[in-house]
Amino acid sequence: MNFNLTSTPEEEKFRQEVSDFLDKELTDEIRRQYAIDKGLGPEGRAFALKLGAKGWLGLGWPKEYGGSDGSIIHDFILVQEFARHEVHIPNEVARFMSGPTILHHGSEEMKREFLPRIARGEIEFGLGYTEPPAGSDLLAMQMVAVEKEDCYLITGQKTFNTESHYADYHWLAAKTDLNAPKHESISLFVVDQRSPGITITPIWTLGGERTNEVFYDDVRVPKNRLVGEKNRGFYYMIEALNYERLMMSQTERLVPILNRIIEYTRQTRRNGKLMTEDPLVRNKLAQMAIEIEVSKCLEYRAFAMLFEGRSPDYESGISKLFISELYQRLAYTGMEILGFFGRLDEDSKWVPLRGEISRLCRMSVVYTIGGGTSEIIRNLTATRGLGLPRN
Amino acid sequence: MDIKFTEEQQLIRKSARQFLMDKCPSSLLREMVEGTKGYSDELWRQMAELGWMALIFPEEFGGTGGNFMELILLLEEMGRACLPGPFFSTVVLGGLTILEAGTKQQKQELLPKIAKGELIATLAITESESDYDPSSITVTAKAKGESFIVHGTKLFVPNAHVADYLLCVARTEKGKDPEDGITLFVIDGKAEGIKYTLLNTMAKDKQYEIFFNKVRVPKENVLGELNKGWGLLKKILQKAALAKCAEMVGGGQQVLDMAVSYAKKRVQFGKPIGSFQAIQHHCSNMLVDLDGCRWVTYKGAWMIDEDIPYEKEVSIAKAWCNDAFRRIVALGHQVIGGVGYCEDHDMPLYFRMGRMAEITFGDSDFHREIVAKQLFSAG
Repeated sequence: MNFNLTSTPEEEKFRQEVSDFLDKELTDEIRRQYAIDKGLGPEGRAFALKLGAKGWLGLGWPKEYGGSDGSIIHDFILVQEFARHEVHIPNEVARFMSGPTILHHGSEEMKREFLPRIARGEIEFGLGYTEPPAGSDLLAMQMVAVEKEDCYLITGQKTFNTESHYADYHWLAAKTDLNAPKHESISLFVVDQRSPGITITPIWTLGGERTNEVFYDDVRVPKNRLVGEKNRGFYYMIEALNYERLMMSQTERLVPILNRIIEYTRQTRRNGKLMTEDPLVRNKLAQMAIEIEVSKCLEYRAFAMLFEGRSPDYESGISKLFISELYQRLAYTGMEILGFFGRLDEDSKWVPLRGEISRLCRMSVVYTIGGGTSEIIRNLTATRGLGLPRN
Repeated sequence: MDIKFTEEQQLIRKSARQFLMDKCPSSLLREMVEGTKGYSDELWRQMAELGWMALIFPEEFGGTGGNFMELILLLEEMGRACLPGPFFSTVVLGGLTILEAGTKQQKQELLPKIAKGELIATLAITESESDYDPSSITVTAKAKGESFIVHGTKLFVPNAHVADYLLCVARTEKGKDPEDGITLFVIDGKAEGIKYTLLNTMAKDKQYEIFFNKVRVPKENVLGELNKGWGLLKKILQKAALAKCAEMVGGGQQVLDMAVSYAKKRVQFGKPIGSFQAIQHHCSNMLVDLDGCRWVTYKGAWMIDEDIPYEKEVSIAKAWCNDAFRRIVALGHQVIGGVGYCEDHDMPLYFRMGRMAEITFGDSDFHREIVAKQLFSAG
């Protein structure tokens, strides 16, 4: 048993190297760009290329595809350090979703075309799964890809495709067989996001983030952009889920937020006394520290299973479930502590913590919806984790 | 990172589970709980033969040199079986305290007997004004010649009626700091002037009021340093709190298993109720809470074994397990319905156990304040 993030000198050296790099390279501007607009400014892009040059966006991938030495533990250490420094891995979808699936199932040609560019930090993919009739019920998707002699012709509508307005490629799921059972009817494609026939329109969200509707009208996609085998797409999506969930949300992100709320209570008087002397404030913040620790344990447990080569199932699901719900509890705890001031917009001279708590409070609404709603995860936990009968 | 158990640890868990399933059926459980003694001599003897009481002690004191994680796994199985009796008070409260602070002579005299199952011990801390607070320790021990005279009332002392030795926390001096001037004593359970009165609790778990009426205790029975007992006690209380978490992990697993197996069998509206999402979500929530309990507890045990400062993490574990176990049992009752409300079902045993476990060695607010102290002192 060992609950440390790193357990060999080599791993610790790697962690330290990542940490030193981030201490040196990260500026407030880069952080802002990643928090607000996906790292799209010139500073954010330059940062992505630097990471690519370090070899950290292709850890564990074969050298011939632009990869570098490392394994899944290095990926995990990397994302934990990034989380601790409050910045996202650039081009997350490319790095943690499309890339690994291309590596495992893509053709040789596809691997050579895309993996080195992902590893260099040059390209991002937009996730193209959800449709108006297919949210939690992904298999209800209706976008159709018809196989022609020289290409696939794709028509239909996607929604909540958050990266599409800046991504280079669309990681697209579409139906390639209208008669087969639903789970054997879907294929994955890599589509040039600027292809003729694609229309992208913005959707603005409560959290201030832009997401998109993406319309396909007879879009021609070359046959060599089919990922792996035709009609196997749904299996590829499911297979990648554990790794994605663990790489794309870390409890460690909540730690600095809690620390800043604590710091605020140290400097703030309310009702005639310092907030740190208020037993209710102490109790609330201690509860947050407790839940963060529980969340970390659930996350490490799921990762350790993956690391040992056992496939976590409900374990990675409940890790995501717990983190996402905890984000909301932390945001509301923050709102309670900050009082009126927590409701101010971030440009107010009175707003504490640069308005991050109000932003978190709004943004975290979607954390329990995207990437599998809490209810879907509870369904799967019941049937797969506990063996209860499917409805 | 590594969450694997050693073969030894897996074996302990497996054999303990099997033994308790075979030897401690619900009928015996009820007999023990209802009886005045609170446990079965025969079962106790078999547990000793299996080496359970020896597990945590070093070989030089008759033990088998197990680590804290192994003790945790054993206690988890005991919690799963809802096993009553003096194992916890003897091994965790008595044995570990003696191991931690005893003189070589005390250890040589007492630990091998504990390890063989020949000695029952317990720890008397709580008094009328507080559960675990040094300022409320009013039982006095005054030096008189070669002895101390212990006087006053202790409450909620588990298994005191069968204890060969009582470890008693008493005030030997009044200092400025309430933590100063507290001393632990090993007191013969049969010493003259001790009066035991049973306190009937929800869990019928043999808690006692002890009145020490000017009880004479030889000076060599001081355990640890004179006047410096509170530091020792704090350490023991943290370990005991984590040990209590382990019982809740086991109990929670049993409650979840009962709920899930009931939900698979029970048919309403023409279907097993476990196919309804409302029931499925109750069960999933139980599992999330339980997995949280399980892994914070294991992490605490790992830290204790690795000698990493563990005060905060143990308090986190206890606060979480207290609250989570309460939710698990409540949802279990909801899933099992009216059947689980009846005393002939096992659910009430776990409900009752939970009410005692959540308060013993610190309730959630107590432990949240320990966490808060650490949060606000750092940085």
